[in-house]
Amino acid sequence: MRFSDYILISLQNIWRQKLRSALTIFAVVIGATSVTIMLALVTGAKGFFTSQFEANGVLQQVVVSPKADITNYDEAQHGGGGNCDSCVKLTDIVANKIEALPHATGLARVLTSGSVEAIKLGDKKLTVNQVKGYDTNGVITRTMVAGRDLDGNDKTGVITVSSDYADKLGFKSNYGSLVGKKVDLITRNWYTGIGADIPKPQMQPGANNEPNNKSTVLSATVVGVSDSNSDSQVVRAPLDWVHGMNMNQMWQPDEAYNQAAQEKCQRRTPGPCNVEQKLVLVSQDMVERNGYDSFVVKADATSNTAGLVTEIKKLGVGAADAQSYIQSQIQIFNIVGLVLGGIGGIALLVAAIGVINTMVMAILERTREIGVMRACGAKRSTVRALFTFEASLLGFLGGIVGIAVGYGLTRIANVFINKQLASNSFQVHNIIALPLWLIVTVIAATTVIGFFAGLYPASRAARLNPVDALRYE
Amino acid sequence: MLRFKDYAYGNKQKRFMPNILELRDLSRTYKLGDEVLNALDHVSLTVEKGQFIAIIGPSGSGKSTLANIIGGLDKPNNGTVQIDGQDLSKVRDNKLSTYRNQHIGFVFQSFNLQPHNTALENVMLPLVFSKLKRSERKKRAKECLEAVGLGERLNHKPDQLSGGQRQRVAIARALANNPSIIIADEPTGNLDSAKGAEIMDLLKSLSKQGITLIVITHDMNVAKQAQRVLEMRDGKLTERRG
Repeated sequence: MRFSDYILISLQNIWRQKLRSALTIFAVVIGATSVTIMLALVTGAKGFFTSQFEANGVLQQVVVSPKADITNYDEAQHGGGGNCDSCVKLTDIVANKIEALPHATGLARVLTSGSVEAIKLGDKKLTVNQVKGYDTNGVITRTMVAGRDLDGNDKTGVITVSSDYADKLGFKSNYGSLVGKKVDLITRNWYTGIGADIPKPQMQPGANNEPNNKSTVLSATVVGVSDSNSDSQVVRAPLDWVHGMNMNQMWQPDEAYNQAAQEKCQRRTPGPCNVEQKLVLVSQDMVERNGYDSFVVKADATSNTAGLVTEIKKLGVGAADAQSYIQSQIQIFNIVGLVLGGIGGIALLVAAIGVINTMVMAILERTREIGVMRACGAKRSTVRALFTFEASLLGFLGGIVGIAVGYGLTRIANVFINKQLASNSFQVHNIIALPLWLIVTVIAATTVIGFFAGLYPASRAARLNPVDALRYE
Repeated sequence: MLRFKDYAYGNKQKRFMPNILELRDLSRTYKLGDEVLNALDHVSLTVEKGQFIAIIGPSGSGKSTLANIIGGLDKPNNGTVQIDGQDLSKVRDNKLSTYRNQHIGFVFQSFNLQPHNTALENVMLPLVFSKLKRSERKKRAKECLEAVGLGERLNHKPDQLSGGQRQRVAIARALANNPSIIIADEPTGNLDSAKGAEIMDLLKSLSKQGITLIVITHDMNVAKQAQRVLEMRDGKLTERRG
């Protein structure tokens, strides 16, 4: 028998039982469609995620944290703060050592301040979680949608905001107009940093670090609007300014002066001597005390980040590159894909049972026909091949239709996702794609499933005794 | 391979005709529960090329079993089946299938046509299992249908044909691969006597062309047209007239 005969006869047989074949194929279509969509979603999301990282240059970065035992990039970025027992202070000396390492081409010190409560423009007031400061030397860059990124000339009084803020401040799709606007940064009431008005304690001399219970308003000019990313509610400012915000200013007795005054008084009038205490405003540099939150080090090549991490760790500080972070993130996508694919797999398993059922029914119906075929010279192997082929064809057709339906659904999904991406000012679109390998894989998989589902019925057909089959009513 | 037979087993007459079929001491038993049924009990038979033989006997006497073994659909428990000098009793399914395809044409009482296929497609069925090209198959099937007088009915489906016409299609199908033997199991059983006579005339004409014809029947009117009549009874074969 020729291959074309198998195709022709199988198609004829499938066509003869239109409804039953259609229902069987439909079951395969459900499985194939779900597997297609799930794989397409996961592949698309993974590709999008990786490309975002590549675009930011994050893959070339190593994040250094004071905590020596950090294990991943995410922890390094957010687990900073230098307030742990085992922490190594990130000082300028450490920074210089790291910058001197081979493969390190740049380093940005990162410092955050939680002392700003809100950003205010006109009557709009939005919550701020963090002011993030870093060296504006090109190691950390942001994609700007309007205005410019912070640069080395910026010292104080300038910020960039994310497009999230710009949207909420009423500059949606008009980011340019926000650039150059003066906004107020309203601090928390315990703020003692730069620009704070600390009232001199009147009653009790020597009062230490009393909250002044009054917000300070810092004026800032928005120089740029950056592409939004996951950390919203963050305002970016030059490192120097954030350094200043983290200053701890307080009134303290001027011990030397007070001592001298006391002695002078006692010399003049023996006995108890009550001298008015003199207070002075001192400022404590918190960075000197706690170090920076983290460093971001730029490696000369993506492939050298791992080596750089090892070298930096030798200095006793924690370090991680984005590779491992991306790996762990992609791992999540893989797991999601596995779970979703498993659901589709179950659908396909059910479809396979449908194929088995259909084929067993077909063999019962066509027993006499099989007998005639055998009498006319069909070999057992021919009969087996014919029924296996027919089952594979059911799977194949299900796969084709499944891919077509899946393609349609991903197109629809892309329309919605594109809207979502555009509203978050991402430049990419149509992230859910149906690569060729996926199409081929799905169709091949359903065909193979049909093939395996056909094995048992086909071997039953092949085992039929031709004499009995011819006599079958 | 043809073999000239001067002293055929069980037949001492001297002839110069090749024996197409030589059955020796065939036994075929079936188990029905604890009972053993002897469908064939030491059956021997020699048939010359182009002969028309009829096998008669009551139902259950084993005549269909004999026909099935000759046709390569069944195998004996004991004894040998030589067809064209080839022993079929031991060959495997693949070879037996090829043998059926190349040497045997079956005609059944109930026609056994594929109801969803046209007359032409039905006749093409044995050709599908040979290695012929599609165009050649079509040509050959057409010739066979023309030979049975159905040249005008190529694209009719079985339900558009009369009983006699259906049996003609079945005969055309049996002819398709140029068989050396046609085995017809009650070929007129489902037909009225006039149509039955036409079918028998057709079969006889094939026999005259050199095809060995084995007809199984319990209709004496059919049997008496044969050159030899053999009777099966309780698994034993006896020559009634030869």
